[in-house]
Amino acid sequence: MSLTVVKGLQSEIYVPITPPPVWAPVKKELKDMTIALATAAGVHHKEQERFNLAGDFTWRKITDTMPSSELMVSHGGYDNSDVNKDINCMFPIDRIHELAKEGFIKACAPVHAGFMGGGGNQEKFKGETGPAIAQMFVEEGVDAVILTAG
Amino acid sequence: MQRAIEAAGIPTIIIAALPPVVRQTGSPRAVAPLVPMGANAGEPNNVEMQTAIVKATLEALVSIESAGKVVPLPYEYVAKV
Repeated sequence: MSLTVVKGLQSEIYVPITPPPVWAPVKKELKDMTIALATAAGVHHKEQERFNLAGDFTWRKITDTMPSSELMVSHGGYDNSDVNKDINCMFPIDRIHELAKEGFIKACAPVHAGFMGGGGNQEKFKGETGPAIAQMFVEEGVDAVILTAG
Repeated sequence: MQRAIEAAGIPTIIIAALPPVVRQTGSPRAVAPLVPMGANAGEPNNVEMQTAIVKATLEALVSIESAGKVVPLPYEYVAKV
C-alpha cells in the first residue's frame, strides 16, 4: 500500500519556501571595492518622509554627504532605542567611512538605501523596490553592498 | 532586497540578528554576530565592536564560496531592556 492515501493534498498551514540560490561572484579585492549600505531598519534623513509604521514598501535614497547625525529611524517592528542612541549600530556609515580612509576598502558609495522591512507588500518589495535600489547601485558603480536587519 | 541586488550582478552580504530567517529567505551571504535586532552592527557607540563586525563582514563577503552560507561572528552584545 502506498503511504499517500489522497494525492495532491495541500496543507492549509503556510510554510515558507526557500527560493533557489542567487549568486553574483566577487571580482575585486576589498581594497579596490566601492561599498554601499542597504538597510531594512527604516533609516532615512530627518528631512525625508517617515515610513508608514503599519507597513511600507517605499524606500529612501541616503546620499553619502548626509551627516550620520542627521539620519534617523522610523520603524515599528523592533526596539529603536539602541539605533536612536547611535545610528551606526544598524547603519554603520561612519565605520565604512573610516575603513575607506584607512584603505581597507577603496571607497564608500555616493548613495545608500533605507527601507522598512518586517512587513509591507512583499510583491512590491520583490518586483519594484528591490530592483529600483539594485538599479541605483548599478548606475553608481557600486562593487558590493552590506545589508543590515535580518 | 539582498536577492534583488545580487540578481543585478552586485555581490552582497547581510549582517543578521536572526540567522535562521535569512537562511530560509534565501540570502546568498550572511554573517551572524550575537546581537539583538536593533543593533546588528554592534553595541551603540562601541566603535571597536562595530568596526570589527563590519571588517569581518567584508572579509566574509570575499571568503564565502557558495550561496546560503551564514558565518557566525564572535562578537556579542546584549541590549539592556
